[in-house]
This record gives sequence, structure tokens and C-alpha cells, in this order.
Amino acid sequence: MAVPSNGQIIEAHSISRIFPMPAGPVTAVADVTLQIAARDHIAIRGPSGCGKSTLLHMLGCVEPPTAGTLLFRGDDVTKLSDRQRSLLRLRQIGFVFQRFFLLPMLTAAENIELPQSEANVPKAERRQRTQELLEYVGLAARAAHRPSELSGGEMQRVAIARALANKPGLLLADEPTGELDRATGEQIASLLDRVNADGTALVIVTHDPALAERSTRVLSMRDGRIESESASA
Amino acid sequence: MNAMSFAWRSLVRQPARASLGVLGVAAVGALLFDMLLLSQGLVISMRSLLERTGFDLRVTATDALPGQGPLIANAVERAQAISRLPSVRSAIALRFADAVLLGGGPRGLSTTFQGVAGTAPVYPWTILRGRDIAPGLPEIVINENTATRMRLAPGSRVMLRASCTDEEQALPPEPFTVSGIAQFPFDSPVGTTIATSLPMLAKACGGNESNEADVIMVASQEGAGAAAAVADVAKLLPDLHVLSNAEAVNRFERGGFTYFRQISTVLTAVTLSFAVLLITVLLTVSVNQRLGELAALRALGFSRWRAAADVFCESALIVGAGGLLSLPAGALLAVALDHILKRIPGIPADVHFFVFQSSALRIHLLLLSATAIVAALYPIRIVATLPIAATLRDEVVG
Repeated sequence: MAVPSNGQIIEAHSISRIFPMPAGPVTAVADVTLQIAARDHIAIRGPSGCGKSTLLHMLGCVEPPTAGTLLFRGDDVTKLSDRQRSLLRLRQIGFVFQRFFLLPMLTAAENIELPQSEANVPKAERRQRTQELLEYVGLAARAAHRPSELSGGEMQRVAIARALANKPGLLLADEPTGELDRATGEQIASLLDRVNADGTALVIVTHDPALAERSTRVLSMRDGRIESESASA
Repeated sequence: MNAMSFAWRSLVRQPARASLGVLGVAAVGALLFDMLLLSQGLVISMRSLLERTGFDLRVTATDALPGQGPLIANAVERAQAISRLPSVRSAIALRFADAVLLGGGPRGLSTTFQGVAGTAPVYPWTILRGRDIAPGLPEIVINENTATRMRLAPGSRVMLRASCTDEEQALPPEPFTVSGIAQFPFDSPVGTTIATSLPMLAKACGGNESNEADVIMVASQEGAGAAAAVADVAKLLPDLHVLSNAEAVNRFERGGFTYFRQISTVLTAVTLSFAVLLITVLLTVSVNQRLGELAALRALGFSRWRAAADVFCESALIVGAGGLLSLPAGALLAVALDHILKRIPGIPADVHFFVFQSSALRIHLLLLSATAIVAALYPIRIVATLPIAATLRDEVVG
């Protein structure tokens, strides 16, 4: 995949997402222009239903924009097939979800190993990477535990490790602390800070002002549009 | 983790549901296996029985079954003429009648009574004890049921009253000596059969129709084959009806045995439909309960094909495990059903309704494989067309 000379991971030009509904089309995201560079730490804020998650899904190549241009490392996402977009997500984008979505029948280590296995990473390499990630998120001792045996914070740390399994350049997190108490949310926020500091661009959708303030750029959305962008301290 | 391992882990995650699916497929598969055995079982069993008698042609006066049509006149001479054909090894004339063995109770014991004449080196029965009948002597061979019920053994003497026509008769009883205990291939499990020479049967029948038979049974020369013998006999005796074993089996197949094949086809279709519905429902419920996880996996980069392969492998595992269990279960069920069906009056003890054939096993595997594929289609469609973003949103809102 081509890497543009300007070092941008994502370049979105006037992207929109319109959902056809029986009562008429609904515009979830309208005319958003945005660049995400390596090591960016971006928070997207806004009221419920303003289009934050839809924008995140478009940036993550889960669903293509219905209008505008979205380039991922210089490639036009709208021109990629479903298979190519799946491959792109697998190798270059990590996702962290509010509800973790760990597979309950797999251990923490197996959950982390799964995306690597799908990416055909050799077994020995997978094992080593998984061990490193478990240590990175502080759960080396919980490798053989299933999600039902982990706390919410531990599950989210495993989910972050899983998202980092294939060494993505971009990590997208949708309300990563939404299901956690304040103290645990703080731990997850610190972990995400560390992920970003270690070189992974980070985009977080959040209602939590404290989490948003840790970002270097905060995008405020309303009615599908980016209302303002501010640089955090 | 490949699709099969992943599917296995998904199944054991819900052991009760997986067990239900496997047991359901095992039950349905057992029935399916039995229906496949039944569809050809009688035909194969009857063919084997006919071949074991040592005769491969049957000559009758008309195309009616032996014993149900008119008698062949001059049967002994005709059997001798047939036996002289180069394509024929031996021929015997066989006459069927009924008889009552007197004694052992106020009404005696009703039996099937056979009379045989001709040049056969062996008769259409197998001597178990004692010896065969001697030509010209009033001797009979009797089957085990008759021996047991009348408490007879080789050397016993018995009075026999024959009944040789459809009309009411009051023939005088004739004395016979039991020369041996024999096994008759077409005996039912409770059947009572006795046999003697054709002249002795004619004598017991009052001396009339001494040279008539229901059927002439012919053994072809090994090198010539049944088809050549059929052609030779038909040419020699154009007024008679000649049927090879293969033709006789075909007639059975087109006639009474069709019923079993039709039942088998209908039940096969019904059982397969149940299997498809059962697995489809189980997989659909399973997939619908995991939509969030599936959408997350797709978001993480799992392809549509991989997601579909996981579901298909789950279907294959359920059907595969159930299919394996269905074979011993089907075999046991076949033994039990065969036992029940053989209680139908007149069914020979050596005929079986369920006969193992490797082709049935192949078709069973083929049909179960098709079931696994068809049953997985709908849940695969759900997974393959899953809207990732909308599902993730719904899961969070839900």
C-alpha cells in the first residue's frame, strides 16, 4: 500500500454518510474534512446521535462514506472491495469497543492471538507477541483466564492488547471507558496514552471530558458536522 | 486458530445446545440410514435367497407366481427335457399343496406340502438331520418347526391328509416316514413345511394330476449362464413362462417391494427436512446471540468468508458428530425394526428388510453432507451480510 509523502494516515475530504430510511434519508455525518497523522491523539466529543461513532466507523474503513473522499495512507477507501477493506482493518487498524466484545470461549491470550492468526502470523511469533502484549497491558498472570474470570478493566485491557496485536498504525476506540468506573477508566486512559506515546495514532470517541482532555486534538461534533477543533493541553 | 477450531470452541461454549444438535442429527441420521437400508434391503435379501436355492430359472405355466397360477402338465417329462439342454445343469418339477399332519392335537398340524421330481443332484432344501427322501418310498422331510410341534424325528411315522385343490376334499390319510429334518429357504419363522417326492404327493392327493407341477426349477450350466438357459428353455417350451432370478427380483422390485421403496423415499425426505430445520434453527439462534461479537470480529478485519466458514464448520461439526453416532444407532434400530417387520405372516425367515450395503453408507454420508451445507446457508447469509457498524451501534444501545 502506498504511503503518502506527507505522512498522513487518514485524509478525509468532505466525507458524508447518509442512511436511507423509510421516512427519508438521514444524514449521520456531513461534510467532514479531517487529517490524522502518525502519533496523533484525537478525541471526538459531542452529544448522543451527533455522528461520532459513524465518523469513527468511516475512519476505520468499516463503512465507506456515501460522499467525499477518504484516503487511508493514500489509498481511496471507497474504491476498495470488502475483502481489501477487511485486510486493511486487520493489518493497519485496531478497534476498541465500549463493550469489549472479547470472545467468551477463548482465554485472554487466545483473544489476543486471534487477529494474528487471521493475519497468518507464524505460531511462534504469535505466541511471543501475545506474551509481550499481555505484559504491556499488565495481565501476564491472567493469560489463561477467560473473559468471565476478568474484571471490566481487565477485559478492556485485553481488548486493547487484541487491537494492538497486528501492530496497527491507527487505534480507534469507541467509548473505551463507557462501561468502567472512574478509577478503572483512569487506568485505561493511561494505557491508551502509553499506546499513543509508543507511536500509534489514537482516535477516541468519548463523552468523558477527562478522557478527552488527555488528547492533543479535540473535535466537537454536532448534527453530523465538526463544530470545532481545539488543541488540548 | 482456523475456522474448524474456532467453530469447535463456539460449539462447546454452549454444550447443551450443541449436544441437542448432535443428538437430533444422530436420531434423524439413524432413521435416514435405516430408510436407505430399507429401500433396497428386501430386493438384495430376496436376490440372495433365490441364489442360495441353487436354481437360477423358474418355469411356470403363466407369469403368475409359483403356486398361484395353473399347473404345468407333463411336468416330469418337461423337466427331463429341460435338463437335457446343453445350457442346463439340472431341472426339477415342484408341486405345492397343503397337508394336515394327524396327531399331536385334535385338529393336527397344517403344513405346506411340497412334492419334487427330476434330476437335481440336490433338492430345494438342506438336510439338517437324518437323510433325504428316497425315490419311490413314502418318506417326507420336515422342517424344524414341524418337528418341534409334532415331536417328530428321523424314523418317526406320521399320518398325513393332503389338500391339493381349492375345492373341499376329504382325502384319506396316508402313512409317511420322516426321513430327515430339513431347512426350507422360503420358510417363515413360524412356518411348517414338509416335502416328499412328486409321485408320493400325487398319491396323497388321491392319485390325480400325478404329472403336474406348479413350477420347474432349473439350474443353468456354470459356463452358459442364466440368460442362455432362459433362451433355450423358451425355445424348447414356448407355451411356458421362463423367469431368471434377476427377472424375478425385478418383478418383485416393480411390484410389492415398490411400497417399501416409496415409504423409504418419503421418510428420507421427511427426516432430512427435520435435520435441516433443526440445525438451521440452532445455528441461527447461536449466530443471533453473537451478533455483537461477530460484528466486532469483522471490524477487527475478519473477512466475510472467514465468518461464513466459521458458521459452516459449526454446521459440519454438528452433522459430522451426529452422523457418526447415527451409524451404530441406525444399525441397532435396523435390527429391532427388522425383527418387528418379519412378524408379517409369510415372510421367509431368511429375508431381511434392512440389509447393509456400502452404497447406502455412501448415500448417507452424501445426504448428511448436503444437510450440513443447506442447513448452514441461512445463518451464513446472516453473518455474511451483517452490517458491522449498525450492529455495533445496536449492541451498545441495546
